[in-house]
Amino acid sequence: MKTKHFKLFILFLFLFSTFSSVRAEDLRRIVSLSGSWRFSIGDDSKWASPSFDDSGWDQISVPGKWEEQGYNDYNGYAWYRKTFRISDIPSNSPVFLVLGRIDDVDEVYFNGTEIGKSGKFPPDYKTAYDRTRKYLIPSDLIKENAENVIAVKVYDSYLEGGIIEGPTGIYTDEDNELIALNLSGKWKFQAGDNKGWRYSDYNDEGWSSIEVPSVWENQGYEDYDGYGWYRLKFNLPQNFTTGELYLSLGKIDDIDDVYLNGEHIGNVYDMRKDFGYRNSGGEYNTRRVYKIHEGLLNRNGSNLLAVRVYDEQGVGGIYEGPVGIMSAENARRYKNRHHNYNGNRYDSFWEYMFDKFFGNDNSNYDNYDNDF
Amino acid sequence: MVRNIFLSLIICLSTLGGKMFGRDGNLVLLQSLEGRWQFSIGMNEDWTSPKFNDTSWELIRVPSPWEDEGYNGYNGYAFYRKKITISSKYKDRMLYLNMGYIDDVDEVYLNGKKIGSTGSFPPNYSTAYNAERIYYIPVEFINFDGPNQIAVKVYDSEQEGGIVSGDIGLYGGKNTVTLDVNLQSAWKFQPGDDLRRKEPDFDDEGWGEIFVPGKWENQGYRDYDGYAWYRKSFVYKTTGETEKMVLLMGKINDLDQVYVNGTLVGSTGTFPKRPGEKVSTGDQYLAFRGYYIPDGLLKKNEKNIIAVRVFDSGRDGGIYEGPVGLLTQTKYIDYWRKIKKEDDE
Repeated sequence: MKTKHFKLFILFLFLFSTFSSVRAEDLRRIVSLSGSWRFSIGDDSKWASPSFDDSGWDQISVPGKWEEQGYNDYNGYAWYRKTFRISDIPSNSPVFLVLGRIDDVDEVYFNGTEIGKSGKFPPDYKTAYDRTRKYLIPSDLIKENAENVIAVKVYDSYLEGGIIEGPTGIYTDEDNELIALNLSGKWKFQAGDNKGWRYSDYNDEGWSSIEVPSVWENQGYEDYDGYGWYRLKFNLPQNFTTGELYLSLGKIDDIDDVYLNGEHIGNVYDMRKDFGYRNSGGEYNTRRVYKIHEGLLNRNGSNLLAVRVYDEQGVGGIYEGPVGIMSAENARRYKNRHHNYNGNRYDSFWEYMFDKFFGNDNSNYDNYDNDF
Repeated sequence: MVRNIFLSLIICLSTLGGKMFGRDGNLVLLQSLEGRWQFSIGMNEDWTSPKFNDTSWELIRVPSPWEDEGYNGYNGYAFYRKKITISSKYKDRMLYLNMGYIDDVDEVYLNGKKIGSTGSFPPNYSTAYNAERIYYIPVEFINFDGPNQIAVKVYDSEQEGGIVSGDIGLYGGKNTVTLDVNLQSAWKFQPGDDLRRKEPDFDDEGWGEIFVPGKWENQGYRDYDGYAWYRKSFVYKTTGETEKMVLLMGKINDLDQVYVNGTLVGSTGTFPKRPGEKVSTGDQYLAFRGYYIPDGLLKKNEKNIIAVRVFDSGRDGGIYEGPVGLLTQTKYIDYWRKIKKEDDE
């Protein structure tokens, strides 16, 4: 009984720690967007367009509360716009727009195309003030050595409002250098759970499109907790490296089951045997690298990756890269980079103790069906 | 929660700055109303009327306890009346009548229409001798550039009585935004809660009347806390292009949901999903409400209905501070740009 209560207490602690799971600290900034932005209160869908002339608009410092910049007592809609150039877009790496904390709701346009939103605008208002905004910029939208325009529609319910706290900038994930085949970008997504969704011959044409990696809350699934499936069809390039290969899926909130061409290749709980996954409750923060068994990949035709995700609460989904296929050598480097991998599974005695007592299981997730 | 906010804001003019939207810290004296007023002891409902002939009444100094003006020892009802001219140059300002401190209970009329009341007359007598009376004057009651009749009904229970002190006068707000539709006027009001009240065709015939803005405690709903609904019907007259409109609801104590023609357009605070659930309130009462109306919701040159659901967690309640009305988004943006500029200078 005593152990059970202690376990509950620890579970409680971890539930708190899962709230702020999107972080920019593992990313490298390539353009800073802090400083002066164009700003107007009000709301007009025309303001999303890159060709809109915002020269008559007010200027405001980002990050910063608008209350402290002449808009004391203002609540409601406002738009921010920023024009910038980028000279060196990393190839083969996802590029993120990080806007830090926005109070309360936002919808972001990159060169006129919506790339993500957080919270809900009225009348069905829901704040997302405590969430760090990190949106994947689809690679076909970003222009090298030319002007790019970001337009951010913000709604503030009351008290402080705006893009209030950094970091703000364009970021890339350095880990992507280790990827031999990049699999980030547009995937198919379906909320719910169905055993049949793992198979290559399942027809997912009716599914919605989702950016990977990015929390599903940013992409129209604001209140969604529970199961969701991601699917991606891909082909290997010709003369793709032979030898032992690994699939990296980055971080997933909270639990995953990964199928390649219909076969189960891994689950977050496999990570404890290798690296990363430290203890129950830390699933969301665990980097996934699964070994691809010899002969499973179809080298000459299409392959189907299906990822079943279970999100207990808060944000959910495949939310942080790198996402792609790595060589064994790079998988080892990746592990070393992030977890001081030295053959010892545990960084400390306490981790060992946690592991010992809280087991190799998913008992924190009462609703998670592990007999799937 | 915001007891004496008017008083404290006027005192704190300098510390609060003159920038906040509609804060009464912005009030400036336009016309002093101190001096001689017509006066009679007694009580007659006809005395509220602008048509009543008060030339035979005595003249009495305002502000001053009536005990000092020859009515020593008198307790009970009395009336004060005064005719004033309000210049049309004040048409775009929000106008307030400051009647100072009244001992004990009062009801104030302009041109026969009640604009405010503080305290409670017998038989449920309750004094409010230490509250400053600042009443918003609904623009539709004002006869600009002509005579306007003020009538003040007073009840004094004991000791000093009457309009005893204060800076009596007509006051105007600065920085007033020009509303396309001014909704500061009499609204229908009903305590309690029923979501059907948001519907445009809901029958509010039997409801009470209340002035907006103004806390309901001063308007016959003393000590009332909890849910209440406001409803107002108005015609949005326009010949112009369709433009995005903003509905200003001023400040509301504590939480609100605003419906236009039955559709929710904005809300501050979180209402419980099920009846009986605890409502949590914080500083929402300080938030200035400006709700953007979805395109196509307002009917031009036709009747529209606004319904406001309010929850008050305790003490002062209701739509207590203006401005309340509709304006175009363009004007609203200009307004804030102007405020920002003043702030920068």
